[in-house]
Amino acid sequence: MQIIGCGNVDRGDDRAGILVAERLRDLGFRAEIHTGDALALLDRWPSDEDVIVVDAVVMGMPHGTIRVWDVGSAGAELPDFAADAAVSSHGFDIAKAIELGGALGKLPAHLRIYGIEGRQFERGAGVSPAVLGAIDSAVQRILAEVRFP
Amino acid sequence: MTGTSRTIKVDTLARVEGEGSLYIKLVGERVTDVKLKIFEPPRMFEAFLRDRHFSEAADITARICGICPIAYQMSAVHAIERALGLRIDPAVRLLRRLFYCGEWIESHTLHVYMLHAPDFLNYADVIEMARDHREVVEKALRLKKIGNRIVQILGGREIHPISAAVGGFHRVPTKQQLRELVPDLEWALASSCEAVQWTSSLEFPIFEQDYEFVALRHPDEYPFNEGRLVSNRGLNIGAAEYEDHFQELHVKHSNALHSIMRGRGSYLVGPLARFNLNFDKLPAVAQEAATKVGLHPPVKNPFRSIIVRAVELVFACAEALRVIREYEPPAAARVEAPNRAGSGQAITEAPRGILYHRYALDDNGLILSSKIIPPTSQNQRRIEDDLREYASHLATWPLDEATWKCEQAIRNYDPCISCATHFLKLHVEREEK
Repeated sequence: MQIIGCGNVDRGDDRAGILVAERLRDLGFRAEIHTGDALALLDRWPSDEDVIVVDAVVMGMPHGTIRVWDVGSAGAELPDFAADAAVSSHGFDIAKAIELGGALGKLPAHLRIYGIEGRQFERGAGVSPAVLGAIDSAVQRILAEVRFP
Repeated sequence: MTGTSRTIKVDTLARVEGEGSLYIKLVGERVTDVKLKIFEPPRMFEAFLRDRHFSEAADITARICGICPIAYQMSAVHAIERALGLRIDPAVRLLRRLFYCGEWIESHTLHVYMLHAPDFLNYADVIEMARDHREVVEKALRLKKIGNRIVQILGGREIHPISAAVGGFHRVPTKQQLRELVPDLEWALASSCEAVQWTSSLEFPIFEQDYEFVALRHPDEYPFNEGRLVSNRGLNIGAAEYEDHFQELHVKHSNALHSIMRGRGSYLVGPLARFNLNFDKLPAVAQEAATKVGLHPPVKNPFRSIIVRAVELVFACAEALRVIREYEPPAAARVEAPNRAGSGQAITEAPRGILYHRYALDDNGLILSSKIIPPTSQNQRRIEDDLREYASHLATWPLDEATWKCEQAIRNYDPCISCATHFLKLHVEREEK
């Protein structure tokens, strides 16, 4: 199991994925931080392992909502992120990277995306209380998933 | 069609870095209004920098853009070094050129293959394109990764590198660390030459404009971060004179400031400008790649910028190999930068064009004021001028196709709207009478 937390430490709620990965790493899991562009993920995730990617999303869900997508080379649903790709702070966003990975046969066998609905993304902003709470919940859910597959 | 009024609006410009909005009004074949709208809270970086020590400028300005942080860092450190009167070790100068090579490789590869090529091949995006052109996209990913790797080795990490400093670098690589890049760069050079061939085979609209091209020019090299600022209409100035010749204007429909040349109007910066003003400074392999496909200055069709970017990929790979061959680590990674009052300006060539920085420092090295003018805001007026002319050619096209072609015309400029404004949301409104 490989956990990858994505985001930008300078942009408020966009830190969510990074904070989840850091908490899991402290608990002894193989968790890494990815702050680079989403295209680089295509080389980072192992193709023969289960992978969980955690990132902030903006989808019009209630603030702090966690949504999980089951993706992977099995061809299951892709994240239905906002069509407005401009909300991604990564440029080429994760949804596009996953779709491209699918087109190139570069997805892990099992890939789950944890999306945490954020609201404040201004440069220098802190993480909102709703997302801080969601981070706790996300960590618990991933722990449960790993212990009880 | 005479008298029929049509409006092309794009709500969210796709395949540009950041967010932008486009509004074009046509009456018959006449374009009556063009607005490239940028909806983002005004850039605050110039305010963030105030009262910070100059040593923080590289770190802060790198966060303006995730695609071209190196150009921001380099413009900042060059301007501050000028303010402090610092002289840089030649080995550091070489490393800085290598740094630019990395950024140009990753940025141009992203744009050529993932953002721009789909337009020419009638794909909605690179994902659709990958299903039919898998090998091309895989090559692009490998090429981009090589650019990222250069940035990571020199800068400490791929995004928002941490190693660049006033006076040099916090840490420099060993010769061996750089030599490890050589096999990949040799592959990248060959792949870039193929990119020139491949892009030249695309189909291009017939569209040329009479541009004033503006770029750096250096006596010895294709420009990255040093040189005088020149144009094809006689401009020839140092960075210190930039604000005497260029002016920023606030326009109502945009949160990015528009730049014009005083007394002249819009101008064009970026790969076309560099290629047209510096072809003779390209290494032989890049010149040959261009002439082999019939590309020679002046290139006035902005759609052909995709080929020019591919030629610049050839240059960046060849230059990276040259630097690695010649590099010997400096005696010190950086020279001491004393606190001293002063002011300095610098212009460097980001992948998208010239980037201007100015800083004023006090006796304690704190930044009193700064000015940052990105390439995309400098091209904004020129993009609108292109659209004003190009959209009139599309007056009889179905609205959907005309809209898409206008978006393609914007993507000619590889706009980094995050730099220009930090997010532009594109709204398209359609209106037919």
